[in-house]
Amino acid sequence: MTRDQVRTTLHWLLGIWLLAVIAAAFFYAPTARSFKGESARIVFFHVPQAWVAVLAFCVNLIASLRFLRRRELLDDARAAAAARLGLAFSVLATVTGSIFANVMWNSFWNWDPREVSIVILLVIYAAYFALRQAVADDERRAALSAAYAVLAFVTMPFLVFVVPRIYWSLHPDTIISSSGAIKSQMDPRMLKVLIASLVGFTGLFVWLYTLEVRVARVLSARRAQEV
Amino acid sequence: MRGEPVPKRQQRPGENLPWKPRKALETLHAASLASRSPRLGPEALACSREVSVVSFAIVSEVSVEFSGVSKRFGARTALAAVSGRLEPRRVLIVAGPNGAGKSTLLNIIAGVLRPSRGAVAYERDGEVLPRPRWFECLGMAAPDMAVYEELSALENLRFFARVRGVRRSADELRDLLDRLGLPAREHGRATGTYSSGMRQRVKLAQAVLHEPPVLLLDEPSSNLDEAGHRLVAELVAAFRTKAAVAVATNDPREVTWGDARVELAL
Amino acid sequence: MRASSLLSECLAVLSKDLTAELRSRVALNAVGLFGLTTLIAVAYQIGPYRIQEQDRPFLLAALLWIILFFAATSGLSRTFVKEEDAHTAKTLRLAARPLAVFGGKLLFNLILLAALFVFIVPLYCALMGYAVAGVPGLVAVLAAGVCGLAGTSTLVAAIIARASGSNTLFAILSVPLVLPLLVMLIQGTRAAAGAPDFAVVLPALRGIVSLTGVTVVTSIFLFPVVWHD
Repeated sequence: MTRDQVRTTLHWLLGIWLLAVIAAAFFYAPTARSFKGESARIVFFHVPQAWVAVLAFCVNLIASLRFLRRRELLDDARAAAAARLGLAFSVLATVTGSIFANVMWNSFWNWDPREVSIVILLVIYAAYFALRQAVADDERRAALSAAYAVLAFVTMPFLVFVVPRIYWSLHPDTIISSSGAIKSQMDPRMLKVLIASLVGFTGLFVWLYTLEVRVARVLSARRAQEV
Repeated sequence: MRGEPVPKRQQRPGENLPWKPRKALETLHAASLASRSPRLGPEALACSREVSVVSFAIVSEVSVEFSGVSKRFGARTALAAVSGRLEPRRVLIVAGPNGAGKSTLLNIIAGVLRPSRGAVAYERDGEVLPRPRWFECLGMAAPDMAVYEELSALENLRFFARVRGVRRSADELRDLLDRLGLPAREHGRATGTYSSGMRQRVKLAQAVLHEPPVLLLDEPSSNLDEAGHRLVAELVAAFRTKAAVAVATNDPREVTWGDARVELAL
Repeated sequence: MRASSLLSECLAVLSKDLTAELRSRVALNAVGLFGLTTLIAVAYQIGPYRIQEQDRPFLLAALLWIILFFAATSGLSRTFVKEEDAHTAKTLRLAARPLAVFGGKLLFNLILLAALFVFIVPLYCALMGYAVAGVPGLVAVLAAGVCGLAGTSTLVAAIIARASGSNTLFAILSVPLVLPLLVMLIQGTRAAAGAPDFAVVLPALRGIVSLTGVTVVTSIFLFPVVWHD
């Protein structure tokens, strides 16, 4: 099979997988007892979105570090692609989180530390693009945004891990406890659908990301010919 | 080295001609300075040090090679595959019309700008220097470089000496400013109050105070009067005896200083 | 061979910046006036009597840091932006080691912030009737705040100076980075004001010091990339 054929097959598989996940989220998985009505189903979408937002952040960091080491503009294109997707998914995670908060506690926003940390991630992405917008030269833009991304990454653990641990949180308990074992509070069917959703969303991220990087590669090849 | 026909010039008495053989140059040099020395003041005459535009202590030889250097700014190509070499005891002239990329090339050689393509290599006494160390061997004066306006000329030079890790006493700095044509009464005034010609002299002073083995001058005579132009000629002549010099210029008089030439087109 | 150490080069950059600043006083005026104006606006409208007793600890701590942060952002980027605007950045780039520049500018921002805090904080306590129970604790939190704010903002200031140099961009870029710091500072101030015991500020201090340390070390590694093209 040629590369294109493999790609097309994988894309179709991803589409079917995600459709199956959506169907399973509503019809296969049971509702959780402690949650109001059907609202627990949002976990199948909200958690993967938050996970992808953080994954995109990590990909951005790695691409930024590689750029700083090798100074190849393609790494900068990779970092920007990851950041764009990260921005989109963190918006989605914030919105789904707000909807859930409204259903459970009747207010869209509660200043919960976890809620705040996903918004901060969103603000970091927005600031990243504001910076990129302000620099005209390609190489300087790449260097400055890579430096900012690394600095932001270093500050993030304090918001995501330290601050929520200090303050009491409304946010439902995390799935993976501090000891690393997966908490068995969740119904096995729910867990299965959740993991399937995680895989599906990660696949979606990988697809969109590689698409953007391929476009960037073509553009840079054309630019190299012109010089 | 390109063999360009050197045009004949009117030789004014006491004027330094850079293409003269070294010994004659030094004699002329000393003679011209002797005729100027009453202007320096009694303390300079009493000093037993050798008087020259720059007292020489350049110990290492640095050569710079740039090959296939191109630079793009967005869609615009500023430089296309330029190559050349700066060697000790040679003056390289970078010539071309306005907008040809002379300043861009000098900035790339200085390491302030990265080329889109091509490479610049510094070699000191046989060893290749990494980019973070280039600035230690460099002295540069350009129109887009300024000195600190709130500080006086002397304070500026003292700062640059300190930050370069070079020991210069206040007297030595005052001497240098004198030799570059800045009168003593101006040394203590904030450079923000200076004329453009005076600022140019302070810029040249900060470029040479650490006696760099590589001197890059971008339009050095801009803003300078006839006396200033002569000073720059003497400066280049003094530096070419030991250092590698590159001068980017439009001025036809300055173009004749060069042993080699890089011609840039729009 | 250099006749000077990195420290003496940092101090040269610092003294040059201080001399220039004392002669022109632009950053000092900006920072001082912004702080004073905001403080007077807040004190006039709110003052010591308009806040309920149970809300006082939270509001007074938060308001103090809002005023301080707002005033600080008006002046923290100046040290780098001024170099680019006056075209002295290239001269400095060709003369000094990047670390010396970073060290000198960081120290300058520290001194600027310390001056701001010394000016504003006593005035705030007087005008707002802020009775602080643990003064050593508050001083420790303020000192940590000065170091943290300066440490986080210096690299961001260098970044925006190489971009558009606008203060808006500086604010946008520094807000997500400074937010965890501000949260811990407000919490620490509240704790210090509430109890005379020094131990109450220790959790916040730990967080602030570790964040500052991590940010400054990362900035030291990233600065040469930002400073040179």
